[in-house]
Parts: sequence; structure tokens; C-alpha cells
Amino acid sequence: MSNDDHDHDSSSGLGHHFEHQPALPISRGKTFMWLFLSTEIMFFAALIGTYIVLRFGAIAWPSTHDVHLAEIWGAVNTFVLICSSVTIVLALEAAKKNNSGLAKGWMLLTLLLGTVFLGIKMYEYGQKFSHGIYPQYPHSGIYEKPDVYYSQAVRKRLGEIKGALQNVEKRTKQQDEKIALIDDISRELVAPAEEALRDHPDAPLGRQLLWKLSDKIYPRASVHEHRGVGHAGHPDHGHPDHGHPDTGNSDAAHRDRRAVGEQSESPFLLANLQDGEETVAGHDASGHLVGLNDQYEWLKLPIMIPGGNMWASTYFLLTGFHALHVVIGLIAFAILLMMTLGKANAGVIENVGLYWHFVDLVWIFLFPLLYLF
Amino acid sequence: MSESSHDGPHGSSDHHESHGSIGLYLSIFVALCVLTSFSFLTYFPFWRSSVPVGVSRAFMMAVSCTKAMLVIMFFMHLKWEANWKWVLTVPASFMSALLIFALVPDVGLRMRHASHDRMIYAAEVPANEGATLEGSGDDHLHDAQEHLQETPGQSQETHEHDEEVRPAA
Repeated sequence: MSNDDHDHDSSSGLGHHFEHQPALPISRGKTFMWLFLSTEIMFFAALIGTYIVLRFGAIAWPSTHDVHLAEIWGAVNTFVLICSSVTIVLALEAAKKNNSGLAKGWMLLTLLLGTVFLGIKMYEYGQKFSHGIYPQYPHSGIYEKPDVYYSQAVRKRLGEIKGALQNVEKRTKQQDEKIALIDDISRELVAPAEEALRDHPDAPLGRQLLWKLSDKIYPRASVHEHRGVGHAGHPDHGHPDHGHPDTGNSDAAHRDRRAVGEQSESPFLLANLQDGEETVAGHDASGHLVGLNDQYEWLKLPIMIPGGNMWASTYFLLTGFHALHVVIGLIAFAILLMMTLGKANAGVIENVGLYWHFVDLVWIFLFPLLYLF
Repeated sequence: MSESSHDGPHGSSDHHESHGSIGLYLSIFVALCVLTSFSFLTYFPFWRSSVPVGVSRAFMMAVSCTKAMLVIMFFMHLKWEANWKWVLTVPASFMSALLIFALVPDVGLRMRHASHDRMIYAAEVPANEGATLEGSGDDHLHDAQEHLQETPGQSQETHEHDEEVRPAA
């Protein structure tokens, strides 16, 4: 690719019978890059189009905070990519002026900015993974609705942890507390719901209790904000006007909870599970909702996010393909950094730059679609 | 000979002529940053409470297209390229548009209708969860079906308005 320009210039002098007649008045490398980019346009157009169909055709779609997507990181990443687009343009300008050192500096900066982008992306992925949001089954613990399958999965997971802990020969105090917590969760949240469903399959109570179970494990921002900031901000705010989900409806469940509240006074207890504040999930210092999975990270209980699986599939597919393009770009920058970035190689820099601008372009569309819509 | 010498001036003009100045690139950069902050405005509660979701989405897409055009025209130098640019970009855009249009029936149909089976196995509608929690006793399926009968735009709207109140606190 790097010799293209010279080939064009010198071919006129050779005069042998293969006459070079390019279809386009640009170098072969650039022609190839634009052809490649036009296939890339179609590739991402299809992906983004599919996302739009799935997202707007979905019956439920999680809000960004339901899935721990922080808009600010998307905006920062947009800014980082725009900066890197500028630096590579400046690298090209420097190379055209045959200022190899300056071009290398800008190229190195571009490489660093691309790495920053990937770093932020990795941090974002880590946030999803730590909350049990994965694109694929073996790890993914996302359930679409709080039904019997969900409570079954929760019960199974609790049983697994408890079994493992009980097999330990000499348990520490901590491990005993874990077992007690698991028992509390099963008794206060899982059992009442499943019993209510068994005894009164047609009454709404069982489903409400299941919903509450899912809310305790993984409170979703869209649901709690809907209740009003005032309530969420003040846990000791008297009685929220929406009242208890189960007052008057579930004497049995309520009595159970009372009894438990009186009996067990372990320090690790589910303080916010006990009466009064059922519908108000706790917040941590930064204002994030705290569920059982956040409070006790070892629990890793299945979570319930309506539309969460489709969201995870599309989010990881789109950002993953984009990140793959970023990685390829970074490899190209690393190769360029090993060359002399003078006038002779300006064509290569231009082609890599075209590719990089395209990566930027895709993110310009992905950012609002994934983070702000 | 004449043909090969023909491409000489063009090829060299592409590479040796300096199209944009550094100042131009920097002003494009500033424009891109300002446009990004425009679309980020839609994140804030005051925007969400005063601008309808449909308008704000159209606005975001308009901003994105403007940014895309700036990048393509200036950073990718298409503004200064010869007519060959149309040979490559027009068919590609045409094919992309076809891909998108091919999805339109899907979008339209899926947004307007859902089969009974699909409703049974569908996820719940977040907007109606509050009602369930308050013990109104409404059936989820019934709720969801009612929800689907609304126009999609409206239902999205109510849902979107429910979000994004927290950051202010």
C-alpha cells in the first residue's frame, strides 16, 4: 500500500504492455479502504437496524439504570473518540509535511485515546457482569418476569450456597451468619410467595410476593423512581401513600414476618426487609439502589429484568462488534508507530485514518441509541 | 501511456494538496463536542420533563447525522475529493437504506400486533408493575394486552418519563 503513490508516478515511465488504468483516480489502498468501508456501512446498518426492530418491537425494555448503564461513560467515550479522530487527522497533516516525529506523537496519542476508550468499555462491561448481566446463558441470571420459574431458580441457588456452606467442617462465625441469612431469605421471601401461589393460585397475592422477592434481590431504578424521589431518599418517611403490597391481603405472610422480626436479632439481618419499608429500596452513597445481590455479593441470586435478556444480547453484540473494530484500529496504530511516518507513508496513515473515522462514526450513532433512547 | 499519465495529476493532487488547515480541524472538533453535549442534554431531568420523547429522539438522531456529516466531510476529506466519491458512497448508502427499509414491515407489524402466545410468554410491562405492587389485583396479561393497544409512542413516553428523576436527588 505504501508504494502505491510511487507506482502511479513511475508507471508512466515503464511503458510495458500492462497498462495501468485505474477505474478511480485514487491509490489502490484508498480504493480498497473505501470499498471495505462501504461494506462496513452495510454491516453496521444491518446491526443497528436489527437493534431498532428488536428494541421498539419489544413488549418490555429495561431503562438504562435498570441495567446499570451510565450515560456519562457513553458521553465520555464519545468525547474520547472525537479527540482521537482529531489527533489522527493531525498526524496525517504532520506526515504530509514530512514531520515524522510530530506525526508519531499524534499517532501515539491516538493509540492512547483508543486504549482509554477500550478501558472505559471494559469498566462498563465489568459493571454489567458484576450485577449478573451477561449476554449468554451459563452466566446470565436474568429472568424476564417473576414467576414460579424465577422463585424456583432463587430457591435452587440458595440451596446450592447453603449446601456448600454446610459441608464445611468447622464453620466460621461469618459462614454461620451466611447460612442464617439464606434461611431468612427463604423463610421471609421465597416460601411465602410459593405458598401463596400454591394455596391461592388465582389470587394476585402470590404474584405480588414474587414481584417483591425479585425487587428485594434486584431493585430496578425505573420502578423505584416511579414512586417518587422523596420516598426513596428518606427511608424513614412515614407510610408511603402507595401502602404495603400485602397489608390486609396476607395475614399469614405478615404474621410470619412479624414473628421473624421478633425472634431473630442477628446484626446481618435484612433490615430493609422488615415491615414498614417494603417498597423503598435502600440507596448507597452514590444514589444507586441496593438490593440483596449488592448487599451480599456472594449471593449472586437470579435477577428479574423485563426485557433484560434481549437488552443484554443487543447491547453486547453492538458494543462488542464496535470494540472489535477499535481493537483492530489499535493494532493498525501500533504497526504504524513502527514505521517512519513521513511523506512516503502519508497514504497509509490516510487509509488507517479513514478506518478510524468510520469507527468514530459508528459510535456517534451507537451512543444515543444505546444510552439515551 | 496517455491514460497512465492521466491519473498522475489526480493522484498527486489527492495527496500533496493540503485541504484543511489545522484551524479548520479544530473548529470541527469543537463543533463535534458541542453537538455531543447537545445530545447529552436529553439525559437531564429538565429536558425529559419538558420535551416529548419522540421529539427528543428525532433531535438526537438529527444531531448524530450532523456529527456524522461533519466527520465524513472534513475528517474523511470527502468534501475535497473528486467525483469518484459518489461511485462508492451512493451504492453503499443505497444498499444500507434497502437493509433498513427491509426491516420496516417487521417494525410496523411487531409494534402493532402481538399474538396471544407471545403475550403469554412475554415479559411484564414495567409501567404496570406499580399497579401490581399496590395490590390492585390486575392480571399481568390483561395489563400487558391493554398496554399493547396503546400506540407504541405513547407507552414509551410514559415509561420514559418515569425514568431519570433520581440523579437530581
